[in-house]
Amino acid sequence: MATVVTMPEILAGSAEAAIQSWTVAPGQSVAVGDVLAEVETDKAVVEFTAEVAGTVLKLLVGDGETLAVGTPVLVVGTEGEEVPGTDPQPEPDPQPEPRPEPATVAPATGGASSTNGSGPARGRRFVSPLVRRLAQEHGIDLDGVSGSGPRGRVVRKDIDALLAERTTPAPTAPAPQARPEPEPAEATAPAEATVPDGVTREALSPMRRAIARRLTESKSTVPHFYLKGECRMDALMRLRAEVNAQQPVKVSLNDFVVKAVAGALLAVPEANAVWGGDALLKPEQVDVGLAVAIDGGLVTPVLRDVARTSVTGVSTAARDLAERAREGRLKQREIEGGSFTVSNLGMFGVTEFTAIINPPQSAILAVGTVAERPVVVDGALEVARMMTVTLSADHRVIDGAVAARWMQEFVRRVEAPLGILV
Amino acid sequence: MTRTRRIQPGAPWLEISSTAADWKAADPTLLVSMLGQLQLIRAFEETVLDLAGQGLVHGPAHSSIGQEGGAVGSVIGLRSTDAVNGSHRGHHQFLAKALTHVTGGAHAADDLVTAPVRDVLQKTLAEILGLAQGYCRGRGGSMHLQWLEAGALGTNAIVGGGVPMAAGNAWAQRHAGTSDLTVTYFGDGAVNIGSTLETMNLAAAWSLPLCFFIENNRYAVSTTVEEATAEPRLSGRGPGFGIPSYRVDGMDPLAVHLTMALAAERMRAGEGPVVVEAEVYRYFHQNGPYPGSAFGYRSKAEEAGWRDRDPIALLEARIAERGLLTEQQLTGLRGQSQAVMREVAGALTESDPDRADRRRIRPELWPDPSFVDVGVRGDASELAGQRMLDPVEHSGATRSVKFVEAVASVVGTRMKEDDRVVVLGEDVHRLGGGTNGATKGLADTHPDRVLGTPISENAFAGLGGGLALDGRYRPVVEFMYPDFLWVAADQVFNQIGKARHMFGGSNPVPLVLRTKIAMGSGYGSQHLMDPAGIFATAPGWRIVAPSTAADYVGLMNSALTLDDPVLVIEHVDLYGRRDEIPEGDLDYHLPLGKAAIRRRGQEMTVLSYLSMVQVALDAVEQTGVDAEVVDLRWLDRASLDWDTIGESIERTNNVLIVEQGVLGTSYGGWLADEIQRRFFDWLDQPVERVTGREASPSISKVLERAAYAGVEETAEGLLRVRAARGGA
Repeated sequence: MATVVTMPEILAGSAEAAIQSWTVAPGQSVAVGDVLAEVETDKAVVEFTAEVAGTVLKLLVGDGETLAVGTPVLVVGTEGEEVPGTDPQPEPDPQPEPRPEPATVAPATGGASSTNGSGPARGRRFVSPLVRRLAQEHGIDLDGVSGSGPRGRVVRKDIDALLAERTTPAPTAPAPQARPEPEPAEATAPAEATVPDGVTREALSPMRRAIARRLTESKSTVPHFYLKGECRMDALMRLRAEVNAQQPVKVSLNDFVVKAVAGALLAVPEANAVWGGDALLKPEQVDVGLAVAIDGGLVTPVLRDVARTSVTGVSTAARDLAERAREGRLKQREIEGGSFTVSNLGMFGVTEFTAIINPPQSAILAVGTVAERPVVVDGALEVARMMTVTLSADHRVIDGAVAARWMQEFVRRVEAPLGILV
Repeated sequence: MTRTRRIQPGAPWLEISSTAADWKAADPTLLVSMLGQLQLIRAFEETVLDLAGQGLVHGPAHSSIGQEGGAVGSVIGLRSTDAVNGSHRGHHQFLAKALTHVTGGAHAADDLVTAPVRDVLQKTLAEILGLAQGYCRGRGGSMHLQWLEAGALGTNAIVGGGVPMAAGNAWAQRHAGTSDLTVTYFGDGAVNIGSTLETMNLAAAWSLPLCFFIENNRYAVSTTVEEATAEPRLSGRGPGFGIPSYRVDGMDPLAVHLTMALAAERMRAGEGPVVVEAEVYRYFHQNGPYPGSAFGYRSKAEEAGWRDRDPIALLEARIAERGLLTEQQLTGLRGQSQAVMREVAGALTESDPDRADRRRIRPELWPDPSFVDVGVRGDASELAGQRMLDPVEHSGATRSVKFVEAVASVVGTRMKEDDRVVVLGEDVHRLGGGTNGATKGLADTHPDRVLGTPISENAFAGLGGGLALDGRYRPVVEFMYPDFLWVAADQVFNQIGKARHMFGGSNPVPLVLRTKIAMGSGYGSQHLMDPAGIFATAPGWRIVAPSTAADYVGLMNSALTLDDPVLVIEHVDLYGRRDEIPEGDLDYHLPLGKAAIRRRGQEMTVLSYLSMVQVALDAVEQTGVDAEVVDLRWLDRASLDWDTIGESIERTNNVLIVEQGVLGTSYGGWLADEIQRRFFDWLDQPVERVTGREASPSISKVLERAAYAGVEETAEGLLRVRAARGGA
């Protein structure tokens, strides 16, 4: 019996998504868990995996189409089976055909997922309501998790153990979630007919739309203010050279900056908070977002618990996140949370710039290039390697004096970088 | 051979009838006004039957046609501050009281329908049709008509159910120093019911200005009065209770009026209650527009015989004889009455656009469905402005008292400072403060407001309800044991609990009901329940269950301030315990809906109340389970502290409800259901409960102990929840 697979709701509340590219073709057989397609929402590109096994009978939509969640996208069934109707909008849940089943088949339980013998066991898997919710929040697949509660129920202790095993432990408190975002007034999109000669119209990708929406909202609703700091980088550049000479993992300048950001947030905990409408939400640990430019836009994966991670650990994790960001393989939970982002345009030679806060975070640090500049030390002119950073802060959460103290702590750490290593 | 001597009841039992001389001497305005009211009521009832026949009256329409003479004759001489209440067949009683209120009992023959009269008729009909403009906003309908301003306390759909409440009103009238009186109307069916007979006894014992007005229409639905009792002369009930009793022809409004004048004189003079039995006849069946003979329980000849005695015809004849009104004026009274009822019905109904031959209720007149739960309880705004103190936050000096002393002290303080507080119950005035000393000293200082009652829970609970509704007093009723709630269930749940909502949502019902759980005292199967679960299912009631003396003080003060009925649960195990209360302060209120965390913990949330809070703490100590113990304090649906409960559950993810009493009527069943729906995604296992067993505790000490939950059972519960947390 064929199963019609519909566009999944990748993110809670997302109404639409696009098939970026199919990774299967009609006639191909798939197992549960095989990747069917890359699906792009306005926040992430994720792998869309099969929940039923069988043969792909038909792809109902092409690459790049943005579709409402729930739209049928492909049909999986047994090889040679007819696709139920050629209607592009087949019934969402075709009823089982009254065809006689082979006598050896166990009584059908009616689930569309039990298409063949390799379907799940008939018995119900016992999972406590709490664990069900936590698993969803943390993106944990409970298959194969053994439960230690009554009748094998998966209980909180089991999932806590699972979370603890992860290399990047998830926050113990649920990460602060963005409140449902109000739909901002759409940037006035000229109708196709009005495009003037010599201009090509390029449809917005979901990511471009998301960037437009979120940053417009941030800049128009979050009261930004800015602080500039100058850092003398000679000591750090020396230290970095020494570190990299001694180990295979090459630590970037930015890795040090991220560590210094986390250290400063730990020293000024008032700055590690996000706006919660009627409260300030204060994370227990320091998670720092990393602005990563990718084709057609940018994403900000979040490094977890940076304060307790070594600089090489940060380096490894940052590289992994950046690579997977460029490949579109980030998981949704990896781009959520954190109170602070680092955006570095130094590699392009930018001296200094200001950045827009990435909501719902409350601050972003714009990092410029390291260049030799004349400085006056004790009345004498010297040449020093200098870096200019600009902090954008949400004044609802962080006041000027708090930001200034933070900046002091940051500059101090960068200028005396040994503290970052120990 | 024994010797016999005939003994006579102490109270007189008289049959009273009018004479030609009475008719000649009667005030013309009285006669004309009685006829006017009779015509208005008759036309009103005919309209109700007509609308019922068209299917526009939802529910029964108990017609009073044929019985109007008794009501009009007895009410027309009353003051607005005199009160009446009545039965399911009460349109005529209500209308007579409301019309007398707006006219002072004087109607002009040529201007019968004044604006206030028309207004009464429309608001009454609207109420019967269930419309928002009715006296009770459409909630009460035909059987719950109330207009307190006019002295109409509310008609009642429970046979005899309103009688105890009327006694409460009469107590308030007498104690407030007025000469006002109360009339409670009921029928031959209600005369055999416990509430009525208990109240006759109580009213006589306490000399209350209460008239038991029996409308003997000879049929309880289809059962005849002769089938129902061996003494069908129903006023014969009175002398047995020491109540002067009168029997009168209810088809003769003047005779009723004169009888009532005699009765009122006694009552206003403080000589106690009277029974008046008026023989009347309902021309139609129990409800609907068909005569009783159509149902075969009586003959057409019998009905015709009574119709010949119609009170309207009688008054018309006598008025004509005396030349008080012309023929034209007499027919004009009927004409005016019918015309106003057509007009009133027209204002409430319209022709049905779908069925041209039918009428329908004007759709805009229905109550808004969102009104459904409004006024189940008050909004507790009366607590605003009171001084609040949660004893857990008290840092000042304290003094040591026995719990039971705190009970008597706080009520005593309130009695001293507030003349409205009245304490009543069995033996509350003797034995050094009732059976446990909980009212110790109160009778010495306030003998007139500490009332030792006869053993009749229906009567004295209902009397408390009537006091609360009157508003001049705040009764504190005691049930010696919680199980007596079943004895008084009609008054507790049907009357007191529903009195605010049923009559429109705005009646304050400031009543405190105290009772004690006596588990472990050996009183057996019929004395040892925990009433919390039952009251939690009953609309209208608030419930508090203090576990400490300091909480008791604050909760009792809040209970006595609230305009809702509040059950205050006590426990014999707590009475003797020494406890600390704030020094020199018996006046603070404990905030509504505030639980207390008695022990912080992470493994699970234990929810408990009353004596079981300490039991839970002991079990936690014994097992070493790191449980958070929450003392609920306020137990009812509206007052429970969901913030504290929720915050705890979201942290611990495991819940154990601990209570002492039996499984069946347990409080935790309701609570567990609420929790699993509110916090499903926060639960790591089902909500677990510790309760007693299915059987009610027995007398045998061993079986009693086996039937309720204590430290051992609670410890088992804690370990059960711990085991289900897994990780092993």
